[in-house]
Amino acid sequence: MKVLFQIEGGGAIGVECNAGDNLLELARRANVAIDAPCSGNGSCGKCRVKLVEGDLASLPTRHISYEEFKSGWRLACGSKIVGDVTVFVPDIASAYQSRMKTADLSSPQEVAIFEEAQEALRGSGVEFSNDCMALELKVEPPTLQDTMPDNERLTRAIQDQLEVERVEIPHSVMVRLAHVLREEGFHITVKGLFLGDVFRCMDVCPASDKDLVGCAIDIGTTTVSMVLADLNTGKILAKGSSGNGQIRYGADVINRIIEQSRPGGRKKLQDAIVKETLTPLIAGLCKAAGVSARSILRLSVGANTTMNHLFVGVDAQSVRMEPYIPSFFAWDGLLAGDLKLPANPLAPVFLAPNIGSYVGGDITAGTLASMIWDKDEYSLFIDLGTNGEIVFGNRDFLMSCACSAGPAFEGGDISCGMRATDGAIEACVLDKATMEPKLTVVGDKGQKPVGICGSGIIDIISELFRCGIINNKGLFVREGRRVRRDQHGMGRFVLAEPEQSETGREISINEVDIDNFIRAKGAIFSAIDTLLKAVDMSVEMIDRVYVAGGIGSGINMKNAVNIGMFPDVELEKFRYIGNSSLTGAYAMVMGDQAVEKVAQVAANMTYLELSTHPGYMDAFVAACFLPHTDARLFPHSRQEV
Amino acid sequence: MSFTPKTQPYNGKINAVTLGTGDQAIVIGGQNVLPFYTFDAPIEHAPKIGVEVSDLAGEWTAPEIRAFYEGCVTMADYAKKAETMPGADFICLHFESADPNGANRSVEECVADAKAVAEAVSKPIAVMGCKNIEKDGELFSKIAEALQGKNILVLSARSEDYKTVGASVALAYGQKVGAETADDINLAKQLNIMLKGLTVPSGSIVMNVGTAAVGYGYEYVASTLDRVRTAALAQSDADLQMPIVAPVSPDTWSVKESVATEEDAPEWGSQEERAIDMEVATAAANLTGGADAVIMRHPAAVATIRQFITELV
Repeated sequence: MKVLFQIEGGGAIGVECNAGDNLLELARRANVAIDAPCSGNGSCGKCRVKLVEGDLASLPTRHISYEEFKSGWRLACGSKIVGDVTVFVPDIASAYQSRMKTADLSSPQEVAIFEEAQEALRGSGVEFSNDCMALELKVEPPTLQDTMPDNERLTRAIQDQLEVERVEIPHSVMVRLAHVLREEGFHITVKGLFLGDVFRCMDVCPASDKDLVGCAIDIGTTTVSMVLADLNTGKILAKGSSGNGQIRYGADVINRIIEQSRPGGRKKLQDAIVKETLTPLIAGLCKAAGVSARSILRLSVGANTTMNHLFVGVDAQSVRMEPYIPSFFAWDGLLAGDLKLPANPLAPVFLAPNIGSYVGGDITAGTLASMIWDKDEYSLFIDLGTNGEIVFGNRDFLMSCACSAGPAFEGGDISCGMRATDGAIEACVLDKATMEPKLTVVGDKGQKPVGICGSGIIDIISELFRCGIINNKGLFVREGRRVRRDQHGMGRFVLAEPEQSETGREISINEVDIDNFIRAKGAIFSAIDTLLKAVDMSVEMIDRVYVAGGIGSGINMKNAVNIGMFPDVELEKFRYIGNSSLTGAYAMVMGDQAVEKVAQVAANMTYLELSTHPGYMDAFVAACFLPHTDARLFPHSRQEV
Repeated sequence: MSFTPKTQPYNGKINAVTLGTGDQAIVIGGQNVLPFYTFDAPIEHAPKIGVEVSDLAGEWTAPEIRAFYEGCVTMADYAKKAETMPGADFICLHFESADPNGANRSVEECVADAKAVAEAVSKPIAVMGCKNIEKDGELFSKIAEALQGKNILVLSARSEDYKTVGASVALAYGQKVGAETADDINLAKQLNIMLKGLTVPSGSIVMNVGTAAVGYGYEYVASTLDRVRTAALAQSDADLQMPIVAPVSPDTWSVKESVATEEDAPEWGSQEERAIDMEVATAAANLTGGADAVIMRHPAAVATIRQFITELV
């Protein structure tokens, strides 16, 4: 039998299959990107496809209405093959891969934050220097009289310029040497590491090519961001981001770990990040910067523990299983060639160290960038993502913990939720009297709403609460034109009628969505609360709050405090620091001191495991309320009723 | 020199909630000390005992209970007799048979029973439902309406139905409402806040913070009672200062110590004695933990707990 996937705005991909095969699995096998945040559990309702020809055996689902079912819509994860079939795949997947709005230094605000962080790092004495060097050499060609071989010739030429005892010429350079020397008329540039007594060659190139490039990467569970920088000057040559290709194997780390532990899974997950995500991204950035990939002589990666494992192809199962000890925390010795990354194969890849199963290199790199380790003031660092990570401390101590917030911040677990791509409602203001919403939508002017992203949900819930439309538990208590109920009595608030939305479906937020989100914010706040209590400190002692993560850019801090997600401190204390993991990775790629510093920061950080902490569950239940069961913690949260 | 003990009353005080009307009215709560700490401050209103009268009371088999209610047929008969039980402060009507998954008795029949009871007895009345959210919502609202002016206590509003129950029982018909949660201080407080959010006055709310027969996870009940009471008194948390009513008998009479017959468990001795013991132990634990009223069934158990209270207050 055969399935043909007709991809919206693209071609068609056919795949042979057997009766009873699962459609989502087949799509994955055929590399057809279908958004499946729940990894095929049938719980998220995002993997919608439409029948064009043939039939499928599909399970009924609450995500597809009767009318939609009649017109051919099915959930891929709940559909089995019964014969030849052609399905239409909506272009949701490519939307999040290419147009995702993330903190990738594309706005002036992001660039300013990035540069400020670099300044601060330099100011604290972390020098941005590395051992990479490009030497232009004029080598005498061999003759019948001058019979020295190529490698000795190269060694001598280097020793003429540098006082080194030894010149190392690794295999990858040796195999190119004869050809490059002769092609370039014995006038070449050699790139390598100047290590005191030793010069280690990394590449031989035409004399004009003196590019020394560093590549800093932030591998997020959802998004990958990258910058290329000049290793001499620190100048940013190119920047970009894309969705993490592993997304089709599940939205969160747990689902990815489950997927990688299946036969051949580790390879699939590693290919998804290295081959499908990083390779094209590096190629694109190199092209934009006008440099060759071989000029990339240093790489650095800020990624969570699971992403680190999957990136290097190490089994991540131990991250998920008791006693939750991963295969490595800090590990060096990785070379780009080991992973077949498009870069100089000898280029070292610096991984920001993990400190626990759920506090990884993205946090240690982010902590480095936040500079909280260099200050007297007590700072709270919050990285919002599928996992929320919290660091608290100052130059004397650092505590960290992680909590599972679930995919709600990225629009998962929310009926009309979506990631922050075009059409996402990212901000909202309600009129208290009329309940009419004013929406801000990601995208060009005139873009109709498609769904709601994390920052939009924060705004909507805060506004619903402020206007007395929902109560402290997130249940609808005010009636009006926009408040509607289904046959089971579940309330929802309509943000856009079908004719106002891009998809022709109503965009609303219901009581289950709100409940899911309240849990997510409850997880974040209770983690903060528990961490502070563990060091016997109170909210008033927080001097500064740094908020990082892709979701951060649109966050309205006042609203986040109003719903009890962040501690109620003066709004001036909040600081959005963008993609701090990428900033930290950039510092690491630029200088060895930053690599050492991040290792030091990681070593000094104490990890608090919340899942075994006796008070955490209690704090969590208390925080699952708007703004909090103990309203005294949120004196500025208000309901205007 | 003689020893003068230092008294330690708290600044926080449990709300005093009146049930019933006239000279038979009772007050639960009102103290500013831990349970039975009369040496710190006088306890004006001793804990109260409500006697459970079920619409399935005809199926009760314990010989002493059968003997006590001999000749009773209707719920009103039972209630009238229960009122005379030594130690009884109020009557608690339990409409178990309204359960749609059980006898599914109609709301009208239940309301008629409640009205008949209200006419027959003078002691305050509390009402318990069948645990079915939808049925209870309707039942509570109709009974509260029918017994308007009697100042009854309805047990209970839960987070799923607090809006309908709270609005009808307390707001529309001016009765007292119980807020029921399962062994979690935060959930208990959240429900109180939400009831207050409906503009139900604090003085109309009592709490059921979770129940269990001793030996059946009672540790959770104990620690919840402890924490709730400490928050109310020591931290003056106004959202937790509602008095606590613990329905003891529905739990204790359904566990195996009370249910297993003498044939099945000969080594355990008299079935009725076992049931009484379970009821007494659970009620005593609740009262010492912070309950301001307990709901009980067996005359011997009620007498024992009455004596327990009298001697300690």
